[in-house]
Amino acid sequence: MSFQTCWRCLSKASDPALNPLRAPQQSWLLFPASTAPFTISASLLALPPKKKGRPAMTEKLVRGAKQTFTKKKKKPTDTNKGRKPAPGERKALRKRVVLSNTNALEVHGLQDVSAESITNDGLKGQVLGIPGPIVDRLRAVEAFKVPQGWALFRRPAMLMRKETLEFGKEMEGIAQNEEKKSIRRVYVGERGSGKTLMLLQAMTMAFLKDWVVINIPNAQDLILAQTEYAPLPSTTNPTLYTQRTYTAALLSSISRSNPILTDLQLSQPASTSDLPIPIPPNISLSRLALLGASDPETAWPIFQLLLTELKKPGRPPLTLCLDGLAHVMCNTRYISAPKYQPIHAHDFTIIKFFLDHLSGAEGLPNGGAVLAATSNSNNPVIPTLNLALSQLEGNQAVQRDPFAKYDERVLDVFNKGGVEVQRIGGITKEDARALMEYWARSGVCRQKVDEGFVGEKWSLSGGGVVGELERAVLRMRI
Amino acid sequence: MTSKLPWGATYRLSTHCPRCLSRLPPRRTLTTPPHKLAIAAPPIDLTSLPPPNPQNARVVPASPSYFTGRPDSTDNYLNLLALLRRYQTLPTVPPAQAPRVAWRTVTQYRLLVGEPVRASKYHKIVEVLQRLNRIHPSVIPLDLSQAMEIYKRDVDPYAVKKKPAIIDEDGRAYGVGRRKSSSAKVYLVQGEGEVLVNGKSINNVFGRIHDRESALWALKATGRMDKYNVWALVTGGGSTGQAEAITLGAAKALMVFEPALKPALRRAGCVTRDPRRVERKKPGHVKARKMPAWVKR
Repeated sequence: MSFQTCWRCLSKASDPALNPLRAPQQSWLLFPASTAPFTISASLLALPPKKKGRPAMTEKLVRGAKQTFTKKKKKPTDTNKGRKPAPGERKALRKRVVLSNTNALEVHGLQDVSAESITNDGLKGQVLGIPGPIVDRLRAVEAFKVPQGWALFRRPAMLMRKETLEFGKEMEGIAQNEEKKSIRRVYVGERGSGKTLMLLQAMTMAFLKDWVVINIPNAQDLILAQTEYAPLPSTTNPTLYTQRTYTAALLSSISRSNPILTDLQLSQPASTSDLPIPIPPNISLSRLALLGASDPETAWPIFQLLLTELKKPGRPPLTLCLDGLAHVMCNTRYISAPKYQPIHAHDFTIIKFFLDHLSGAEGLPNGGAVLAATSNSNNPVIPTLNLALSQLEGNQAVQRDPFAKYDERVLDVFNKGGVEVQRIGGITKEDARALMEYWARSGVCRQKVDEGFVGEKWSLSGGGVVGELERAVLRMRI
Repeated sequence: MTSKLPWGATYRLSTHCPRCLSRLPPRRTLTTPPHKLAIAAPPIDLTSLPPPNPQNARVVPASPSYFTGRPDSTDNYLNLLALLRRYQTLPTVPPAQAPRVAWRTVTQYRLLVGEPVRASKYHKIVEVLQRLNRIHPSVIPLDLSQAMEIYKRDVDPYAVKKKPAIIDEDGRAYGVGRRKSSSAKVYLVQGEGEVLVNGKSINNVFGRIHDRESALWALKATGRMDKYNVWALVTGGGSTGQAEAITLGAAKALMVFEPALKPALRRAGCVTRDPRRVERKKPGHVKARKMPAWVKR
């Protein structure tokens, strides 16, 4: 086959299919029926008319003809079964803390824990109920966690273990203005050994003694990039970041959980330069916190103001708690704006506020306690933190690896001294027995609680690790 | 056929070799039949001992089993019968009190004599040996015991005595348990029920409570959970295998402290080792037993 040569362009362009440079011509004659001559109407823009009838290739099957196998499309099943959960409903259900079980028996003669009983050595190994108002306040600071098994019993109660009573005595000492002004402590221990519950007990005792409690219930919330953040304009090198929504929520929980703040008033009128909104003088601290909670824009300055007010002389001691310490010892998921690098957790104001108090960089003039708990079930592996805590604990087996890279900022938290590391282990057999008897009296444990039963479950739970004990006795009943 | 000449006392399997007069080694591996010197009579020296009637002189075999196909084993049997005839009047002990002897198997005996001995024939030999073995050990003659020695296995399995497990000077009893591909060394010491597995507490090693219960089942089934501390080292396999290996090890160690618990432990299933392992994969199968799906053509 030969092509005619176009003498203008010197190319064999007569066949449009063979000339890739030239687009196929959009002919007027493509749709002759729909096109009128001598018009430039928009009819060309319309879609080509649809062919009527079925396409030629899909002839209707003749009866008896062989049909090739084709996958039949399933009819869409009726998806409209019931109501779909509303946004956030499932999360709310997941996070819901149930503190009462009406099917559980009420334990007769269950004493309530009181401000006096927390130092009473005679109550060691006894289960004491948490009074209702305290339960509300603990709920406000989110001290109760979902997997802790509160939903099994009629009302929340706690075991007075050795560590609890020791802490109660230390609190009493601080309240009596002994030499030791503050407790700075990190709780470590196995999974399910009761570190978080130790924080709850400390908060309970703080509430009972009218201390002010600030609790960060889950440190992971601060680093997962799930709450908004913004650089603090006044800070450079390092730039600090605020989390205003979280701070507002924290202020709200402080205000709700510490009724004592209603009796305390602002000591001096706040300077207008620091705060974006005017604060009325003689406002109660509870009101001040609510003011910050209502407007996230002002939350951080008001939090700072509240803190300075609480450190003024004559104010009650302060209890700061944080659960999940390892989360705040590493880089967060937040990204810094100009460098596009992950931000270190210590550059966040709330975390910095807590760690400054834990390390002793900032003191508690009125005394108090700074308590942190590590977690073993959901925590990042931070070798620096492990090293620091083991050294503080006196564990010689963990030594500094000369080739490893350690985070100096994390080490600095513990280098200043004064931080204690307390290991929470299993409970004694006597305590385990008391706990099981309480479970039996609640009607949750049906077995006969005798020495053999207690010893067996104590061994199975790795030497009285409370979480495992509960799992073995209450949850794994077949 | 009867022979007129007395057949010499040449026991094929005596401790003295009839050819070289040296002591036979206790272990002989005879794979080739010996030359016929021992069976046939020595050549007759007609010069020194002229036959009275040379026309009638003939060669007579030394052994009556000369004309059988299996002369050595037949000789052995006949020798044993002769010994039994000689010593049948000696006092015997009941069969249960006779010393336990592992006789050679028929295969081993065939290798020894180098003849295709039938199992039924060898069984006859063993029957005679068992009767001879019942002769009271204090009066058993030396030649008899030496003759019987040849039929004993090279390695006496009954001589291997298990070393009795003891509680060591630190008060520990030790037991080894195995299950699937796990192996556990378990030390038991009197205590309060503390458990360490590979240096960790039991809840760190076994996440499932079921595994913890099966690891301590020997103690639980006998109600000794709060009487002993367990210190175990376990390797290999998965969590189920490791837990059940600890069960067996703990049971063995517990039997050192309290041997009377053995029936209870057996009832609890803590004495016998479970021999099952992973079944091997076979060619043509997808797994051990699974076959590929059937396809039409």
